[in-house]
Amino acid sequence: MKKNNIELLSPAGSFDSLQAAINAGADAVYFGVEQLNMRAKSVNSFGVDDIARVADIARVNNIKAYLTLNTIIYGHDLQLLRSILTEVKKHGIDAVIASDFAVIEQCSQMGIPLHISTQANVSNIEAVQFFSRFADVIVLARELTLKQVHDICNEVRRKGIKGVSGDLVKIEVFIHGALCMAVSGKCYMSLHTQNASANRGACTQNCRRPYLVKDAETQEELLIDNEYIMSPKDLCTIGVLDQIIRCGVDVLKIEGRSKGADYVHVTTQCYREALDALESGNYTADKIEAWLRRLSTVYNRGFWEGYYLGHKLGEWTSQPGSAATEKKIYVGKGSNYYPKTGIAEFTVETGSIKPGDTLMITGPLCGMVKEKAQKLVINGRVGTEAVKGDKITIPFGIKVGRQDKLYKIVEAANG
Amino acid sequence: MAKIIHYRNKCIGCNICFELQPELWRMSMKDGKATLLRSQEKRDTYIISVSECHLQQSRDVAKACPVNIIKVL
Repeated sequence: MKKNNIELLSPAGSFDSLQAAINAGADAVYFGVEQLNMRAKSVNSFGVDDIARVADIARVNNIKAYLTLNTIIYGHDLQLLRSILTEVKKHGIDAVIASDFAVIEQCSQMGIPLHISTQANVSNIEAVQFFSRFADVIVLARELTLKQVHDICNEVRRKGIKGVSGDLVKIEVFIHGALCMAVSGKCYMSLHTQNASANRGACTQNCRRPYLVKDAETQEELLIDNEYIMSPKDLCTIGVLDQIIRCGVDVLKIEGRSKGADYVHVTTQCYREALDALESGNYTADKIEAWLRRLSTVYNRGFWEGYYLGHKLGEWTSQPGSAATEKKIYVGKGSNYYPKTGIAEFTVETGSIKPGDTLMITGPLCGMVKEKAQKLVINGRVGTEAVKGDKITIPFGIKVGRQDKLYKIVEAANG
Repeated sequence: MAKIIHYRNKCIGCNICFELQPELWRMSMKDGKATLLRSQEKRDTYIISVSECHLQQSRDVAKACPVNIIKVL
């Protein structure tokens, strides 16, 4: 097992998620800026000005940071692209993830390390060979079987296919997160129905809804076994991670830049532990079961192993939203911090908190932290229920501010 | 007279407004986002008054915007 060389790559859609990924043991993170990334609609999208701060945080924490620039690029984007890449170069972002040839060309001209995005749908060794002239890491299409991944990794070594850096080109695969109907994300469905192009990061996820089939002539509706006929379950490979590693891949990617810090923390931590267990020979069925339970607590549409085991597409989700066994309910935000005593104060804005509740705090400095509220100090006194307007104080080792959010964790009805 | 409001910082640069109504929109070569021509800026929001003849087309543009950041009043 060559775990030490394997990179665990986590999504960072916000500063909260970035810190969560670091805390949970990611080796690297990927993030997007402005409108040129596949999560352009995401509320927390980073701007060009954030590149320096992300680079600093990554450097201090000794992890790599990659910038995702993987949308379709139009002529009017070229100057913005150049400005973003200038910032990338200036602040030492480790690589850019791209599929459009304009990004590949500009990175090549500017000497910026490049990873080929899954959006390029690389599915065979000759495609790897082609892109190796420009890149150091190739993310394979998500629709390959483990045998196909294995063959590609073997051929890279047998043929000695080297990337721009002069080292063997690295192969990256997705190990966890959302899958969709389209081949590695090239989808036009929401463009056709709502003029929202997934390839410009504006996917409206209308494939995740239930549909009826209607005869246009007679208006007769046909019954379909599963209403969610276009919404696959999420990829989860924690139970086959040993087989994935044996293929000889170098980088393992977790999907989810639009998801919360709790998702990033739990998924990164589970896969970190699984990789460590594989290395020490402790990758057991009991542990896999426990990881699956933990992974089920955060956003998911139900799990399957994707296409890796050669299954036909048919693992459909059975509901529109998440099947997570836990639900986070927003309660309030950070309002003060007393560094001498290490006490954080939160103001309750909605709902209530009682002693014994599990609280979750997310923020740019703490990432995601869960705490059980054993004793509740409300407005300076021990109390039994904090409601809207109350200030609660809890011992907390990390500074909190107004950007930190307080949630209550409850069991989800569908759990 | 009608008003067009453009919440520009949420623009994803898809090009559709310029395609449908080139007389009022341009794609900025500087930041890749759409620019509402001759508009007044107020805290990242861009506003212009247009005559009735632009109204139907502007409504079509607002409807076509994938991120719903164009309003016609």
